Parts: sequence; structure tokens; C-alpha cells
Amino acid sequence: MASENKSEILAEHAANSALNKPALAPVARHNMDLSADGLRSPLDERIIAASSEALEAGHTHYVDVPGIAPLRAAIAESLNDATGARCEPGNIIVTAGVQESRFLTIQKIGENFESIAVPAVAHPGARKALGVRARNVIPLSVDAERGYLPPIAAISEVVAGGCRLLYLESPSRLSGAAYTADEVAAIGQALRDSGASAIWDQGLAPWVDGDCPSLAADEDRPALFTTIGEAFPGMGLASWHIGYIAAPEDQIPAMQSQKQIMAICTSTAAQYAALEASNLFVEARGLRMSQLSQLKSRLIEVAADRGLDVVTGDAKNIIALRASEAGAASLRDAGFDFAEGASFGAPAVIRLNVNAATADALQALS
Amino acid sequence: MSKKKAEGTNLLYQLMSEARTYDDVIVMGRGDPDFDTPAHIVAAAKDAMVNHHADYSPPEGLLALREAIADRVKRVNNIDVDPATEVVVTNGGQEALFLMVLAVLSPGDEMIVPEPNYNTYADSLAFAGGVKVEVETYVQNDFRADPADVRAAISDKSRALLLVSPNNPAASVISPPDMREMLDIAISNDLMIIADDIYDLFVYDDFTHLSPASLPGGLERTLTLNAFSKAYSMTGWRLGWIVGPADLMARVRELKAAISGGTSIISQHAGIAALTGPQDAVEMMADAYRRRRRLVLDALDAMGMKYGLPQGGQFVFADIGFTGMDSGEVAQRILSEQHVLAYPGSAFSKDRKNYLRMTFLQPEDQLIEGLERMKVAMHNIMADR
Repeated sequence: MASENKSEILAEHAANSALNKPALAPVARHNMDLSADGLRSPLDERIIAASSEALEAGHTHYVDVPGIAPLRAAIAESLNDATGARCEPGNIIVTAGVQESRFLTIQKIGENFESIAVPAVAHPGARKALGVRARNVIPLSVDAERGYLPPIAAISEVVAGGCRLLYLESPSRLSGAAYTADEVAAIGQALRDSGASAIWDQGLAPWVDGDCPSLAADEDRPALFTTIGEAFPGMGLASWHIGYIAAPEDQIPAMQSQKQIMAICTSTAAQYAALEASNLFVEARGLRMSQLSQLKSRLIEVAADRGLDVVTGDAKNIIALRASEAGAASLRDAGFDFAEGASFGAPAVIRLNVNAATADALQALS
Repeated sequence: MSKKKAEGTNLLYQLMSEARTYDDVIVMGRGDPDFDTPAHIVAAAKDAMVNHHADYSPPEGLLALREAIADRVKRVNNIDVDPATEVVVTNGGQEALFLMVLAVLSPGDEMIVPEPNYNTYADSLAFAGGVKVEVETYVQNDFRADPADVRAAISDKSRALLLVSPNNPAASVISPPDMREMLDIAISNDLMIIADDIYDLFVYDDFTHLSPASLPGGLERTLTLNAFSKAYSMTGWRLGWIVGPADLMARVRELKAAISGGTSIISQHAGIAALTGPQDAVEMMADAYRRRRRLVLDALDAMGMKYGLPQGGQFVFADIGFTGMDSGEVAQRILSEQHVLAYPGSAFSKDRKNYLRMTFLQPEDQLIEGLERMKVAMHNIMADR
């Protein structure tokens, strides 16, 4: 007997375009897959040793919901050093990857607000998280010439219109474009003036040369701003799914309670691995950045030679290009996978990882 | 200013937090087995760190793990699923539970829930905007969920029926005839079934576990969860699964991708080793729980406490109504005075204020000591009345 209840569930599901946005993979599926969010990186032997030792020592049981204390401290210290934030371990929740960070912040901080402003171009994971439980989403216009970041004027406008929670990415997950220090200060000012809060995805910040300005460093009202990202990216842990939320103290209990409801805690193997990664991160990042910077510079030259239109972006791990349907199809035909701008909200753009295979992809694209 | 009284999950966390401050605490509260994860599973994780640390896994999990899960649910539960489309790997049973509730319930929908039940179902239901419709069970019937009571609870807003067997915290097992009747009720009233089989390997005496999805007409309307936590002592690995019909599982997959994106590759490889490797450790643990259950029940009998006979699971739900006190206060007093952590029934259901849940997930000498201390605490409580 056919189930009407099930038919209704499936019909509701089919109509939920946000939830059905494609999910981007954390790592490449094959050598010609340039679509992944994370880097395929080697795993240092010391990380393997630390995680193995923890498991052998019996750290195979539940741990505290927000994460093991030394990892929370290590994440807080790393964020403070990198962004000028003033996080304490109590401000940190360790998550099972950045998507869980998106979900927890968007849904739980979002509960306190009537609406949430989301850039017209944003990581599809943000829309998926919004699709789980209906929220009133205010579209935030973006500037294609500025790497698809929302202009300050657009941010001020939605805040003036009464929206008190914004979801922002810097660097942009599509283009890698990051706000400058002056722009971040202006955003902070606009939000502070109206008492608005922000969820700030800074997961790509480690791949920007020098400092990548963060709202987390805002001195006047840090209590309004929550940051999220991958924990110690580029350390070979992308498939282990480990991320963080750094939130004002009063926001922590609700998200911690929700984390308990939906996961209890994060995998101990991943947490102990991330803890060791924290000791190696600064040096490893420096090395990786130097490789990525060289690679990306070369790719931009290759793209220019071939008349390709590169979107401005600061993060060195990705390169976004404006591409015609025919160009994208030729790339696909050549066996490459890439992140489609349409899933971010920018149909005429594609995003490629920066690695050894990317130059071949540009060749195929041109 | 009066301090707000903690309830539900928050109450449990408050007690756990206090328990951690005592060096000599005996934990009979949380469902975390005392055994460490078997060595061959840890070895598989280490191998994965070396050889598979950067492998891609889709949100629904590695196909090799989904195949192992499909084999397992066929072998243990007699559920036939296609690993390609009818299995999703999750961050533990907890995420599986959350996903199942979100997959089936929309705001205003009712879920029929035999009480008492695992507190997180209520939390997940609240997140989804669903409505819990409770069906009472009674200690004198060993907390049997009566199909007639389930039938009486159905309204035009009913969308799902929750069947947790063995039950947490009451440890009752739904008998095969009752399970068949539950499925009949679900079919005739067009209800989806959310089935929680997490304790299916721990069934005692002559009781039998039957998965509703194994019955004719069951799979197409049932989502079934299980996890590695209890059977393989892998609570810290956060690894579980959902099986169900392909059309509903497509929704579960998207929800999984939206909520956490995927599951740790290392845990997944450990899970493959758990399901395909030697099962001696599972049998050893099941034997231990059988012995400990007897030990706990004998101690409760000696204290004159009533309880529902644990037909399965890893705990006993005991009636402390004779104290005349709320279970939260009793649990607090046992913890503060005797450093023994048991969970108050009020955390599982507002109507279970006169129950305590005690696990048998500690070594026997610890259990004996814990029960002795509990006896002293109960004596003190009664003396103060």
C-alpha cells in the first residue's frame, strides 16, 4: 500500500532547493578532481603517532561535548595569533568539520534572530544548513568585481533594514577574495552601530599571504561575532572532518547543547591528531603557502596567456574563473572535476583547486 | 535569586560535571562501556592513518563500509538493503537519531513515543518542531509498550512511531508478536517507523529482538539506526548508520551532508574492521554484561527495590518512589554523599521522577562497591524522612 505520508515527505524534500544544493567534497576524489574544499596534504608522522598513542591509551570513549580541553586551548591560541582575536578555550567548540560549524552557528545563533542575511554568492554548505529548518533569509548582494564579496554598502543596507544577523565569508569560498583591514573595520562599525551579530567563515584565511583581517579581532564588541573554519587546514586532516566554532561565551551553551543532541562529541582520533597538528601548523603552513603562492602566480600567467578571465582572489589554494558553458563543458570532457559557481550562486564562474594538475585544466579550458 | 533547575540532558551534564570532581567516583550513569575498543580495530585505524588518511568519502560513507553494514543488518536483523542507496554512515547513533527525526517529521507532526525513552529523541523532535505523543508503560509490566495504547494515541496529525528495542532507559524488548502488531498499526494508519536497534546484540534470557524493517511491508516505511558505540565499545569514534528505503534515504543523505558533511575517514576504516573482523570481543562483552546484570539485579533485590526486568540493553530502570523524593534529588544525594553517579528518571521523562537508571558498564568489583554505597545512601535518605 503506497504511503501518503511518505509521498508528502518526499514532495517536501523535492521542493527544498536549499537542502538539495550539491555538497562539495572535503578532498579530491581523483587526480583530476579540482573541486574539493580542502587540500590533499601529506600527514606528518608525528600526527599519526600522537593519534595512535591516544587510541592505544584508551582514548576511545566519549569526551567532553565541546572538545578535549588541550585542543580547545590550542585552537584558541592559534586563532589569537593568526587573527588578533582574544579567545579563551571556553569560547571554542570543536566540531566534526566546518559543515557542522556552519550548521550549528546558522541554526542555533539563528534561533535568536528573525532573519539572517546571506550573500547571494556563498558556499553551498551554508544554503544546505539553512535548508534543514526553514529560516527567513535576506539576500545580501555581492560585487562580482570584488570577488563576489558583499559590498559594505549592501551590508549597511540590510542592517538598516532591520536584519540583525549576517553570515559572511572572508575569504570568499568561491573566489578567495578577502576583505581588507579597512573593510573589516567598516563592517564591524556597521554591525556594532546597530547591535547586529555576524557568523564569519574564515576557513580560507590561512591561505592568504600575511594577515587576513578578521571580525574576531574587533576590539569593541567581540561579543557579537562568531567565527568558524577548518581546524589546522593543510595538515592532512581534511578527510578526518575537524573544525571549530569560536563564539562569544553566551552563545556557547546553546550550540554545545545542540552538539550533544546531534553528535555527543567529535571523534577522539581526529581531536588528538588535530592537537598534534597544532604544534606543527605554523611551520607547515609557511612551507605550503610558499608552494601555493608560486603555483597560483604561474596559473594566473597561464590564464592570462590563454585569455581566461580570472576572478580576483587572495587565497592561494583556489583560483576562480569566469567561464562559458562551452568552456566548462570542455573542461569536463577532458576529465576534470571542478566546483561550479552555480552552486554558490554565480553561474558563470568555476572554481579550481591550485595544484599540479590545475595548469592542465586551464589548458583544457582555453 | 533562585538558580534555574537543570532538566533533561542539561541535568545529566550537570551531574556528570560534578562526578568528574570526585577521584573515587563510580559511574553508573552514562552509557559508555568500560571496555576499550578492541585492539584489531585500533590497528585498522592506525593503518588507515598511514594508507587512507586523505581518501575521499561521500557524505553517505565509504561504499566498503556500507557493504559491511548491509551484510551485518542482513545477518543480525534480517533487513535487506542495497548498500549503494539504502545505507548512510553517521557520526554515531546520536547523529543517526537526529537525522531520522528530521527526515520524517515536519513542524506540527506528531510522533508516538512509548515512554520512558532516551531523552535525545525529545530534543531532536523539539528541533524539528514535531510533537511528542507519549504512550505510558509500567514497571509492573516490565515497561512493555502495549500496541493497544499505541493505537489509542493515533490522531490525524500522527506521522511516525518510535520503536526503541531494547529500550533506553527501561531495557524492555518489544516481543515479536507485539512488533508485528506495531507494524500492522503503522501500515493501517500510514505511520513511518523510526526504529532504534542500538542494543540489539544485548538481549537476555529468552527474549528476542525483532527489527520492524525485517517484516513484510516494514522496510518501505522504516528508518533503522544502529552504531558501533555499544557493541564494539567505540563511543569516542562517533560512528553509526541508518538503513531504510532508497527514496527516504536520499533525503537522509542530503540532511547528513547539510549537518556535518561526512564522517571521519579513520573512524570509517575502523568500522570496516569492526564489522568484518573477529567478533570475540563482542561476545566477551555480552557475557560480561550478562553477569553484571545478574549482580545488579541481586543487589537491587536485596535493597527491596522494584525495577522493570532488563530484557536487553545495558542498564536497569529502578523505582525509587519509596523515598518520596524526586529522582533528581536522589541522584544528586547519591552522588554528593557516596560518589556514585546514577541517572535520574526525570531526565528521560517528566513523569519518571521516581526512577533511577543504572548502567552495568563498570567492572564487577566497581559495581559491587557502587551498589554498596548506593545502599548506604538509600539508608541515609530513608533515615532522614
